Amino acid sequence: MNLVMIGLEIHAQITALKSKLFCSCYGNYRDLKPNTNICEVCIGLPGTLPIINKKAIEYATMTSVALGCKVPDKIMFYRKNYFYPDLPKNFQITQYNVYGFSSIGADGLFELDDSKKIKITRVQLEEDPGRIAYSEEGMNVRNSALVDYNRAGAALIEIVTEPDFNDPKEVRLFLNKLSLTLEHIGVCDTLLEGAVRCDVNVSMKGGNKVEIKNINSFKEVEKAINYEVTRQTSMYNRNLKIEYETRHWDDRKKITFKARSKEEEHDYRYFPEPDIPVIVLGNNFVSTLKGYMPELPNERFIRYVSNYKLTEHTSNILINDKKLADFFESCVKIYFSPVEIANVLITDLKSFIDNDSESTDYLSNMRVKPEHIAELVKLIEGNKISRITAKDILIKIAESGISPSQVLNSTNSFKIVDEKTLKDAIDTVFDTETSAVNDARNNPEAINYLLGKVMKFTKGRADPKIAASLINIKLRKSEY
Amino acid sequence: MAHLHDLLAYEVVEGIKGQQFTAEQYVGSIIKRIEDVDSKLRSFITVDSEGALSSAKIIDRKIKEKEDIGSLAGVTIGIKDNISTKGIRTTCASKILEDYVPSYDATVIRKLKENGAIILGKLNLDEFGMGSTTEYSSFHSTHNPWNLDYVPGGSSGGSGAAVAAGECTVSLGSDTGGSIRCPASFCSVVGVKPTYGRVSRYGLISYANSLEQIGPICRSVKDAVMIMNVISGKDIMDNTSIQSTPIAIQRKLGKLNIAIIKELIDGSDHDVTTTVYSASEKFKDVGHSCEEVSIKNLDYALPSYYTLASAEASSNLARYDNIRYGFDFPIEEYKWDTYFSNVRKNFGQEVKRRILIGSYVLSSGYYSKYYLKARMLRSLLKLELLKLFNKYDLLIGPTMPILPFKIGEKIDDPFKMYLVDINTVLANLAGIPAISIPVGFSNDLPIGLQIMAAPFQEQKLIDASLALEDTIDIQRRPNSI
Amino acid sequence: MISIEELKYLAEISKINLTDDEINRFPPQLNKTIEYIDVLEDLASDESISLDLHEINFDELRDDVAKKSDGLPIIKNLTEEGFLRGPKMK
Repeated sequence: MNLVMIGLEIHAQITALKSKLFCSCYGNYRDLKPNTNICEVCIGLPGTLPIINKKAIEYATMTSVALGCKVPDKIMFYRKNYFYPDLPKNFQITQYNVYGFSSIGADGLFELDDSKKIKITRVQLEEDPGRIAYSEEGMNVRNSALVDYNRAGAALIEIVTEPDFNDPKEVRLFLNKLSLTLEHIGVCDTLLEGAVRCDVNVSMKGGNKVEIKNINSFKEVEKAINYEVTRQTSMYNRNLKIEYETRHWDDRKKITFKARSKEEEHDYRYFPEPDIPVIVLGNNFVSTLKGYMPELPNERFIRYVSNYKLTEHTSNILINDKKLADFFESCVKIYFSPVEIANVLITDLKSFIDNDSESTDYLSNMRVKPEHIAELVKLIEGNKISRITAKDILIKIAESGISPSQVLNSTNSFKIVDEKTLKDAIDTVFDTETSAVNDARNNPEAINYLLGKVMKFTKGRADPKIAASLINIKLRKSEY
Repeated sequence: MAHLHDLLAYEVVEGIKGQQFTAEQYVGSIIKRIEDVDSKLRSFITVDSEGALSSAKIIDRKIKEKEDIGSLAGVTIGIKDNISTKGIRTTCASKILEDYVPSYDATVIRKLKENGAIILGKLNLDEFGMGSTTEYSSFHSTHNPWNLDYVPGGSSGGSGAAVAAGECTVSLGSDTGGSIRCPASFCSVVGVKPTYGRVSRYGLISYANSLEQIGPICRSVKDAVMIMNVISGKDIMDNTSIQSTPIAIQRKLGKLNIAIIKELIDGSDHDVTTTVYSASEKFKDVGHSCEEVSIKNLDYALPSYYTLASAEASSNLARYDNIRYGFDFPIEEYKWDTYFSNVRKNFGQEVKRRILIGSYVLSSGYYSKYYLKARMLRSLLKLELLKLFNKYDLLIGPTMPILPFKIGEKIDDPFKMYLVDINTVLANLAGIPAISIPVGFSNDLPIGLQIMAAPFQEQKLIDASLALEDTIDIQRRPNSI
Repeated sequence: MISIEELKYLAEISKINLTDDEINRFPPQLNKTIEYIDVLEDLASDESISLDLHEINFDELRDDVAKKSDGLPIIKNLTEEGFLRGPKMK
């Protein structure tokens, strides 16, 4: 297993863009009626020319920087020539480094974990082709292909790694970290359907590389690699030569199968795109960009631990959910108590959110606002309410959208610190829980049970410290 | 009095503004002219008389209502059929685009319309701009108005012939390796290839996008200036376009240092060189200097041009697979790749040859040998020319090395046809502006002088051309037709 | 030089179905051109020559603004649902 070498070729759509890479059609083509998000340029009508999107270059540069790549002062585009019905011009405008480094990034390094870094060969900008839909209700698809160009011309970032992976688990870890990074810098929402694709190459014991294409989600990548490694190992053990070839992943049968060899013999006849001049970024471009680029996940992690004094565990939970982390920061901006706010968010808020939909947008659909959390934490720290009450209040806010103090006022949920009320509650509990009271006289641990009953009776509002000491007094003296 | 169809563009504008005649009258006379002569010349592929007349009526109405009518009001323009015109069939003289009607106007068309010009119709060319005679048009060949047995030049042959014959006031052509200047020279009219980037290529159906420009073909230099000033300008729809300053009509000139390119003279027919030399003498007569220079890298120019043009063409023409637009060819019975191959069978012979050469020079193994070397030569040549322009204002020579030849004479030897471009490709490779102006005849066949200037120095080109036009009065309209 | 085999390969990657007549007639025609452009080999490869490439500054590029196109470009052969009907894939 340790002589397995795996390399990746990832395509990530720049879902953050409003328009396509070379024209002003919408960048987000999902859910649109077929062939309605097109224009003369992206359909490649005769006489049209590509007009490059400035923001796409910025996002691609951010990605290069996040992957530790060098970014050149000038970038160029090339044509990759091949015929296919989903490619309106029958060439793709992309980038190419064989005749000189001119793509948006190259020679990068991405930290997988403390012991391993992955070399990034290159990062490049290119356009997405359209989509060929094979099946359509009511149509006899054996006689025609159905093509939708809504996606044609959308911006893609291609990331190619060296074959530095030795284990599918490493690949999984990398893809998770990469997704997180792309999300944090705001380039790609990797959960959107079709937003990321990953091709893989696998070789064993210095043998020929086998490319595996058609893996349609990051989830399937590990499975595909595992299958391929098994296949190659078995061939190796039987002294069969592994040919250099392209295989496809079948995600229903969960196998790789050899692609028709015609597909391998592509001479793409790359040459510089004459309609796009060399783009001069200038030598201050990257440093300026770094100034306003969103924080990388590991930078944010370090800030949470050292500035906010959060535990590494807590920081990790926040970092892994960018929207929650952003929400957290909004709360902290209003009321600076990061540890307690993180606590409330992770223990209380996140727990009842996770029960609901898988929507990535749960926070924006939610009625709980950063002001609410800030107010809640203020109340907790001011000892006005208990933490259990806080959770209930949160639920109510989520239902009604009203503020914590409004909830408190309407439900009378303030913490009970008043001794008389507490004594009354404790008396009631003592009357009903006579056997527990007897246990507690002998066994100090049983006191917690009584305390629990008191908390329940007071609907979580009793101040636990005061209640506990009153319970002790009553136990010892049979009266206060 | 001259016929209406003989009027120059600035005379048309003056006449209509001055209400000497209406736009409708003028356009009517042009349409009649086309009806009279085009069956012999065959300059046009599509004539939009209805559209032209209704545009004319709008101009007349605006004049009545004292509204602004634009600097080109009433000027009729024939458009080479590789430039997109919304709603008017645009074929590139190819069967592959026989039924293609664009849904948008090229930027130059929009600008012309905004200035009151009237789009008359689409003019014949060699298929996709590849050729020097219009004989490679898949529809019909155009005939030279000076002698109907002879070629009008190409690839903008229809544009040259139509202007010379008075079938339109002015025309637009495109120039990749000489395709404006060659017909201008062969038809005894003025043709300008602008500096690369001066005129937007949005809407020009690409043949070789790093080499080509749209430009005017006219019966006078002043007309050319009017058109140039309207169509030039940076365009958001073309990332290669660059802003430029308008060209002025001025007559007080300082001394110009002019150089004749020795190799172009040496390679030309005797009749051609004699006429060109006498034109250069005229420059000296009015006080400019004229001496000979040599261009070291000239031998590589044509090979470099064909390498680059074919390479780009092979890619630019890949999109023609007929599934989104094109011509009538049913998809049933075919798998996608055989459908593509059978559709593209309908390209003409010359187009096929260039696509094949293009694929060849770009294929791995040959890319460095041909394509990269050609790019290198291009840089060397440009550097050499720019160095010359430090010393000289203008470089001149014959536009074409030979006189116009008979239709059918070179068609069987494609290679012989290529050599005809030898004088003109320099300007495309270096991206510099060039003009062809008529300077004489031999055996009643036209000869043109080519003048080239440094990038964005169209003003100097025009200054010298006007000076020459004032001195030698060369006929721009054949008597025979 | 281009042999008939090589010509067939070029025709395949250019997606042009050549007739038998063209397959025979083209090689000598094309080879004349190839011979002519072979002269480019004489040019010494010089890394120091920066290729003549036009440049544009980043600031001059198009901003990321989306707009619906005025009218959809006419493409033929659309199904009722709006898909383009193309020739079959297999």
